[in-house]
Amino acid sequence: MKFDDYELSSPIHDEMFLSGGVPRPHARLLFDALNQLSPTELASIQSRVHRTFSTESISFTVYGDHAPGEPAEERIIPVDPIPRIIAAADWLTLSHGLEQRVKALNRFLQDVYGPAHIIADGVVPADMILDCPQFRPEMRDFSQPYGAWVAVCGSDIIRVTDPHVNPLVSSGVDSRIPTAATPPSNNGPEVGAGFRVLEDNLRVPSGVSYMIANRKAAKASLPRLYRSYRVREVEQYGAALQASLRELSPNGKPHPVLALLTPGVYNSAYYEHMFLAREIGAELVEGKDLVVRDRVVYMRTTQGLQQVDVIYRRIDDDFLDPRVFRRDSLLGAPGLIEAARAGNVTLANAPGTGVADDKSVYVYVPDMVRYYLGEEPVLKNVETYLCRRPEDLEYTLDNIANLVVKRVGESGGYGMLIGPHATPEERDEYARAVRANPKDFISQPVQSFSRAPCLVPRHSALDAESSKTPDLAFEPRHVDLRPFILNGMQTRIVPGAFCRVALRRGSLVVNSSQGGGGKDVWVLAEDEYNS
Amino acid sequence: MLSRSAQSLYWLGRYLERAGNLSRLLQLQSESLVDRPVREIHFGWNRIYKFVRRDPPGGEVQLFGDEDFVLADSFALADDLTFERANPSSVFSCFAQGRENARHTRHCISPEVWTCLNTTYLRLQQQNIAAVWQWEPTAFYQGLSTDIETFGGLAETTMYHDERWSFLQLGRNVERAQNAAALLLAQIDTITSSSSQEFHEEDWTSLLRVFYALEVYNHAYSVAVLPDRVMDLLVSDPLLPESLGRSSALIGSAIAAIGSGPYSRSGRALQRLVGRLSSMINYEWPDEEERVPLLREISEGADELHFLITEAYFDYPIQEPV
Repeated sequence: MKFDDYELSSPIHDEMFLSGGVPRPHARLLFDALNQLSPTELASIQSRVHRTFSTESISFTVYGDHAPGEPAEERIIPVDPIPRIIAAADWLTLSHGLEQRVKALNRFLQDVYGPAHIIADGVVPADMILDCPQFRPEMRDFSQPYGAWVAVCGSDIIRVTDPHVNPLVSSGVDSRIPTAATPPSNNGPEVGAGFRVLEDNLRVPSGVSYMIANRKAAKASLPRLYRSYRVREVEQYGAALQASLRELSPNGKPHPVLALLTPGVYNSAYYEHMFLAREIGAELVEGKDLVVRDRVVYMRTTQGLQQVDVIYRRIDDDFLDPRVFRRDSLLGAPGLIEAARAGNVTLANAPGTGVADDKSVYVYVPDMVRYYLGEEPVLKNVETYLCRRPEDLEYTLDNIANLVVKRVGESGGYGMLIGPHATPEERDEYARAVRANPKDFISQPVQSFSRAPCLVPRHSALDAESSKTPDLAFEPRHVDLRPFILNGMQTRIVPGAFCRVALRRGSLVVNSSQGGGGKDVWVLAEDEYNS
Repeated sequence: MLSRSAQSLYWLGRYLERAGNLSRLLQLQSESLVDRPVREIHFGWNRIYKFVRRDPPGGEVQLFGDEDFVLADSFALADDLTFERANPSSVFSCFAQGRENARHTRHCISPEVWTCLNTTYLRLQQQNIAAVWQWEPTAFYQGLSTDIETFGGLAETTMYHDERWSFLQLGRNVERAQNAAALLLAQIDTITSSSSQEFHEEDWTSLLRVFYALEVYNHAYSVAVLPDRVMDLLVSDPLLPESLGRSSALIGSAIAAIGSGPYSRSGRALQRLVGRLSSMINYEWPDEEERVPLLREISEGADELHFLITEAYFDYPIQEPV
């Protein structure tokens, strides 16, 4: 059997198996199908997927290692052909939770750049907002159609516990993940299907094009299996995005002209920008294509200047408008913010949304849900300690060997300390920095997020001579999930996600630039199957 | 449509056409290595280098009597013209530039066109002259030409014939017209710069073959090849796909479909120039005495087209919004 050597380490949640090695009910068909494939068929699936991505050039650009004057390297994102399956009931919980969360985040943005009731009521501390580099005072009293400051949200979700297993039975068994001492806050009973929000990406989230590309690859690799499952479609994402952006037309102007603003072909996500521009019927513009006259935005076309109504911008705030943000930016267009303020163009997402995905502000999102919606949050955060709070600071310093400590202003894994992997000297040095500026830091327990089977070169065969048919095996790899939530007049969530995979054995890093890959996510239409 | 996208499509058309034309020349040149005399091979290389306006590596094409030298030299020249990354007019460089423009504007071309282009590019990227030379160089160039023609065919059938398509066609035909004129002039210059300036019928038959026109010529005229007749056919025959007359007609229809653009001064100048080219090709040609000067004038006109197109549609001065 192909899964004989498959390693299950309770309490790490495995997306395919229950802790006894029995396939989960919704994964049974997949398990059977994979077991029936010969090594040659597996190798052929693997190479076919790679070839498709390569000939279509579904790539991302890697910065750095290229000679001056030479174009940056286009790298094909590694894709694992084995889908991750999400039960219909789990998706229902997840999508409710996401809708609720993004609703609260939009309310927060409207509030924090407006009357700031949430601060006045003492729910969120004022100095934390003012300290946040992503808070843009320039956006005060700005209004966005339907309050949809965040039109496109991509939240990173991990699954930490198995909602179907009694946590008291499985915890601590064969655990390789160091666990922190009992945290000060109590987690309460498990809700939300074991999902946790690791972070909300509210500025220019990317990855949705891989969701669609991975689906195409998975359908091509396992067509019969795809048919036997009732998988919900993701291909309508473009239509949903277009509808949401159209709803954001300034003053409800009918038939708005859409443009997607990209930093250009050398941006790592250029493939996605191109893909989405085509899907939504938008011109793919760069800053230099835009002209602002009398607070109206135009683009330079072959027939002269044409007015643009909605800009789906894939450029960071800093670079959007040199008159308002960074003066040295050549990527944006001078006058853009003034035009948006005058209500002549809608920017999606609105500038300033980064204040709501800041690492400190993140801690308050469940409170925002309670404050604005009067509801209990469906999705929990990952336990996080804010070093600006004296008791959290103390807890962090006492347990630094078991925690991940992050600087609030940094992202992409920079400036952080992974306690269990650091030397005592590194920990001491980091602790001194934390003590000097506590409000710049947060800490979290090392996350034991879930794993799913991936088709990889067999561990034992890595050093062996390469043979014609590569020796492939199923091994567990850590996975996360980035679903996309769209907001216009209404909220739309396409039932699917970009699943990122830490392809290196044992790694917890899912970033594409650091050896991460992707796999398709099959959200099931129903949970009853006859296998 | 967005000016910058239109410009990329235009350049995509130009670069692919250029890569295709050079590939066709190299295909015939590689064929000639099999059985043609050294003089003719030498003539072929000189014609190609004059056509691409580049000095061959080493400054000039050496004419040695020794066949081994000719073959060794040809290997180096073919490498320079096919794979040399530092040569901006090598087939690889042109193709890579074409693909880069396609990448900028991939949302404007059909996925079929992109995949065809990208697959060819990936294959080309892995090739080198040693591998090509060892097997069948002619088949390699022929395959490449076919791939580039496939690109054109796919664009024709899978793209909506709107402005995007028109700019792609405009680029292809401007390049084709410029190349046809440049190749005819290179032919004449190669003859006049050779020491003997002798007439060799085969230098003209090989030129006809570049344009896929040898059979047409034999059918329309005779098997006796006369330079003036060859030029007449290649310049003004409206039915020959790669003739100057045909290209200029297609340039005219692309511009008519696009319209004169927002900047009326350049737009009008462009239309005048297209009319002037058409008049020279269709009505003033052939003037028995003045063929070559007229050809030079046509060639300059074809070069000038590019600047007017750029000014009329891409880099126009911004006036008031429409």
